[in-house]
Amino acid sequence: MIFFTAQIAFYYLALGSVTSAILAVTRKNPVHSMLWVLALFLHIAGLFLLLRAEFLAAVQVIVYAGAILIFYLFVLMLLDLSGEGAQSKYGRHWPFAILGSLGFGALAWLSLIETFDPVENSSPQVVVENRLSSLEQGSSLGSLSETGLALFGPFALPFEITSLILLAAIVSAVILAKRRTE
Amino acid sequence: MIVPLGTVLALSAILFGVGVFGFLARRNLILMLISVEIMLNAVNLSLAGFSCHLNDPRGQILALFVIAVAAAEVGVGLGLVIALNRNNPGASVADLTDLKW
Repeated sequence: MIFFTAQIAFYYLALGSVTSAILAVTRKNPVHSMLWVLALFLHIAGLFLLLRAEFLAAVQVIVYAGAILIFYLFVLMLLDLSGEGAQSKYGRHWPFAILGSLGFGALAWLSLIETFDPVENSSPQVVVENRLSSLEQGSSLGSLSETGLALFGPFALPFEITSLILLAAIVSAVILAKRRTE
Repeated sequence: MIVPLGTVLALSAILFGVGVFGFLARRNLILMLISVEIMLNAVNLSLAGFSCHLNDPRGQILALFVIAVAAAEVGVGLGLVIALNRNNPGASVADLTDLKW
């Protein structure tokens, strides 16, 4: 019964995320687009919960829906977009854009008919070892403790490099957006 | 896993396609950047799907790094939009023809 409920929730979230993504790229008013993107981010956070990525879902809500989207809204309101309504919202090359996105639709169809299933194909021993190593640590996939252990264990160097990238981004954002006063 | 991996990948590919359409077709700079965010979210979704399917936390760690890089990209991208907006107001890419010959 709980399995069935989770499946219904998954298909609702999938439908909601696709709908809000399509509405986000087709609305004329940029603020309406932002609000549909907010709906998309929250639906994707729900999908992360169903895919056993609890910490990722929390980060999605805090960083994407909280920080990044508010940043977009601030910049949108700093700019003067009053002339926006007079122009057409798509460029002249929009048929090529439809072709490009239909290419990814074909990819979706391919991934549906050829489900990638390496766990079934790999040797049973690897599967058992995978299951065992996750059981040994006494925590489930996607929990805060497992994510933290991985971040400060095997992924310590990429984690520190990420902080350097963020520092570079902060400095460059300040320099780019600063008003020249000479 | 509650649904087959193919369903998650198909959803991810559809979202990525919507993002590609938005990036290529819209003329507003900020909406183009938002379309990039839609594409990054689609990739995160497939990473989480693989992670759940293979019972391996590395996919989720990779998605966390993608979120961090997306935050950096937003900072630099919107800084550039503000700097461009100082010289020619509006956010339409059709007006940015200084590098055209």
